[in-house]
Amino acid sequence: MLSVIRGGRVVDPTASRDAVGDVWVQDGRVVEAPGREPDRVIDASGCVVMAGGVEVHSHIAGGNVITSRLLLPDLYVSEAAPEGHPFAHAGGAAAWIGSTYARMGYTTAVEPAMPPTHALATQLELADIPLLDRGALTVMGNDDHLLQLLRDGAGKAAVRDLVALNVATSRGLGVKCINAGGASAFKDGALKLSLDDEIPCYGLSTRKIMGALLDAVEEIGVPHPLHVHCNNLGLPGADDSFMATLDAAEGRRIHFAHAQFYAYGETDDGKGFRSAAERIARAIGDNPEATLDIGQVVFGQTVTVSLDILRQFAGRKGANPKKWVLNAGDAEGGGVVPFLYRPKGPTSSLQWAIGLEIMLLSPDPERTILTTDHPNGGPFTQYPRIIHLLMDKGEREREIAALPGIVGERSGLPGIAREYTLSEIAQLTRSGPAKLLGLTDRGHLRAGARADVAVYRDDPNRTAMFTAAKLVLKDGVPIVEDGEVVEWRAGRTLSLTVESDKAMEKRTDAYLTERFGAGLESFTVPDAAFDAPTFEAVPCQV
Amino acid sequence: MPAWVKGAATDIDAAIAAAADLLGAARVPIIAGLNAEVSAIQAAFALAGRVGASLDTDGAAGTYAELGALSRVGAMTSTPAEVVGRADAVLVVGANPWKSDLVGRLVGSRPTRGRAAGAERSLLALGAAQDRATVSVSAEGGCLPALALLRAHLRGHLSDDSPVADLTQRLASARYVAVLYDPAEIGEMGVETVQGLAVDLNDKTRGFALAVPGPGVNQDRAVVPVSAWTTGQAPRVGLGRRVPEHDPWRFDAARQIAAGEADAALWIASVPAPRPSWLGRVPSVALVGEADPDAAEVVIAVGVPGRDVGGVLWNEARGALAYRPPQPGASAPADLPTAASVLGRLANRLAARSETAC
Repeated sequence: MLSVIRGGRVVDPTASRDAVGDVWVQDGRVVEAPGREPDRVIDASGCVVMAGGVEVHSHIAGGNVITSRLLLPDLYVSEAAPEGHPFAHAGGAAAWIGSTYARMGYTTAVEPAMPPTHALATQLELADIPLLDRGALTVMGNDDHLLQLLRDGAGKAAVRDLVALNVATSRGLGVKCINAGGASAFKDGALKLSLDDEIPCYGLSTRKIMGALLDAVEEIGVPHPLHVHCNNLGLPGADDSFMATLDAAEGRRIHFAHAQFYAYGETDDGKGFRSAAERIARAIGDNPEATLDIGQVVFGQTVTVSLDILRQFAGRKGANPKKWVLNAGDAEGGGVVPFLYRPKGPTSSLQWAIGLEIMLLSPDPERTILTTDHPNGGPFTQYPRIIHLLMDKGEREREIAALPGIVGERSGLPGIAREYTLSEIAQLTRSGPAKLLGLTDRGHLRAGARADVAVYRDDPNRTAMFTAAKLVLKDGVPIVEDGEVVEWRAGRTLSLTVESDKAMEKRTDAYLTERFGAGLESFTVPDAAFDAPTFEAVPCQV
Repeated sequence: MPAWVKGAATDIDAAIAAAADLLGAARVPIIAGLNAEVSAIQAAFALAGRVGASLDTDGAAGTYAELGALSRVGAMTSTPAEVVGRADAVLVVGANPWKSDLVGRLVGSRPTRGRAAGAERSLLALGAAQDRATVSVSAEGGCLPALALLRAHLRGHLSDDSPVADLTQRLASARYVAVLYDPAEIGEMGVETVQGLAVDLNDKTRGFALAVPGPGVNQDRAVVPVSAWTTGQAPRVGLGRRVPEHDPWRFDAARQIAAGEADAALWIASVPAPRPSWLGRVPSVALVGEADPDAAEVVIAVGVPGRDVGGVLWNEARGALAYRPPQPGASAPADLPTAASVLGRLANRLAARSETAC
């Protein structure tokens, strides 16, 4: 069927397009105007037309997310189900995640922390998120097998083969390291770790582990650069850790997760922090191979979930309410600590300001991507409000006026006049994340793109505009109309096609059997475990 | 294909039709057992969503002791492979963990990873005298007071030369402590106290708790995550009001039957499990891996996951979900449907009814 979305303001920065026009769709793809009458005309006059949103870092599946639901049964509110899906309004559930993203015009979302030992559970949960295409990043950097190889000087090829095998076995879309070596160090008594501190029992450092993973990702040709969660998250002076990590990348591609939590310069008295947004934004400008996502803080109750158990253990004392879970798992495990970003609290206000400041100072919105690190900085449902604040200086000023003076004293936010354009919003939420993930078929509206399209009513109240899209197409099929789901369909899980080395398979099988009493087969994610075709292959770069 | 209605053998289509009639006529149906592979658990939740049933599990006592403590105070935990690989001191609380495979792996072996690697491993028994233990401390008043006493010593609130003080010293001087317990044996307060002990240990060393199952195997540990991602809540959960309601007391299947609240039941045990005494006290359907034609009004034999059919099951040794392929040469797998496929067919037949439900 040939469809045309007619007369909307089409915003596609990848084609320098921001004007009223048409978008043609056929067989699930965007096509050039074919010179014949369409079978269906979708009237988009008065609307803004963008590619479907792409999420790079949101904790939407996996053991920590499960634990957070068990620890805080009352975090979300469930409402009576609509027709079509019994769990769509079950707060925090997979169907709620899929439908809430879809209503906002997002069509792809990536879970950034999949431990290889629990890949099957994570993938089964992801597959239950309807409407969206999904993916997950395979976490490495604390597991004994990798650390043994590095300690024993096994060489680059062996590390590459082990990383490739883990990605292939877990069916990941990329590779992430989380405070590399930190979980291992914690289990051996450490409470703090910086880039060059020694990891007990291995004689390694974060620098060495991360460097090995950076190389492996490049050698394998993973389209998404190594996704890095640095040391010392959230501490005053974490900006130094960020900069040291950037230097350690030595020009290799690197993605920094939730950079807001590192943009904390130490105050002169050493007792607090001030915004280092300018330093971080400048570093991204100066390093074209580096990208970041924000991890914007929003006010209210949330729960922090992280595989960085070293930091989560330290952060347990700030738990609100006062209960928390720390699982010292097979590699990282995970920490789940409830947290309240106090509305109008000085610390949370400054954190809120710093995230916005990084985006507003960004020299390249395609490389400073909007996330809240859901749910760590706050829920992803706040994206429309954040977009509103980026696009509307007056709205920002009204919000700042209600916050404590520390926002002006320790951040530059009040002095920034910049207002994001719709094109820049599309870079921040569409083209940037799609390029970062190496997904060339989305994030834009050029011919050949997957017909994932969001149509919003052009409304100066950007919060309202981006909360409930007028129309969302997934693969050309309308899934949302007037902010409500109209077609419950399953997306696909994007997973990288990686060849694994037979010798490494054999070696790993022996290692796993010795350690777990179960070989490599027990760790796989076979198609037979899913009741419908689930995975779509994404090729490596050659 | 083995299926029975009122004890008489029939074909699967007739059995599914009878099961749909039975469940479709119910006002308060319950789905229980869920001792099954993940696809069947998922299908059970989908069916419950359609017909407004409540869901309960087979291994309830331990599951709710664990979940209750978790939601009130949190937890500090490890995994079986980590305990085997790292622990130089293992505190075994109560009697049941001694029957586990895990303790069998710990006895006579040494840690191989981390700062305790190569050290001798001590097994410390609290509450049950054990030949295999390095030290046993009895607990005449039960595990809970003994655990409280241990915590008091650890925090420095008590000081004497009792066996508990010696135990405390052994734990505090270890490099990696694991505390093993069976939640069904020590109960919710016991689990809370064990978790508190693990937290306290981390002021001095590293210490983590690990639940090990008691006798009998069940798939509750697969049900809990599926329930959490499907409904946003732990089991037990009711869907009678078209919104998931987590309430371990209200949706206890045995209680609902005894109180006369439920008027139909669907029992699912593709992984064979003893059937509950209440089955048959209301009109019932049983989907079971080991079929007994008289177990319920409608009985449908389904494939046993990991034997007749493939399926994702909780793997206790790994502490994770893992896929188990069918075993080659298993008994007539082609004849046996999966529990998920039967549940899917039931849901389709009942779809029309749910659309008219209020």
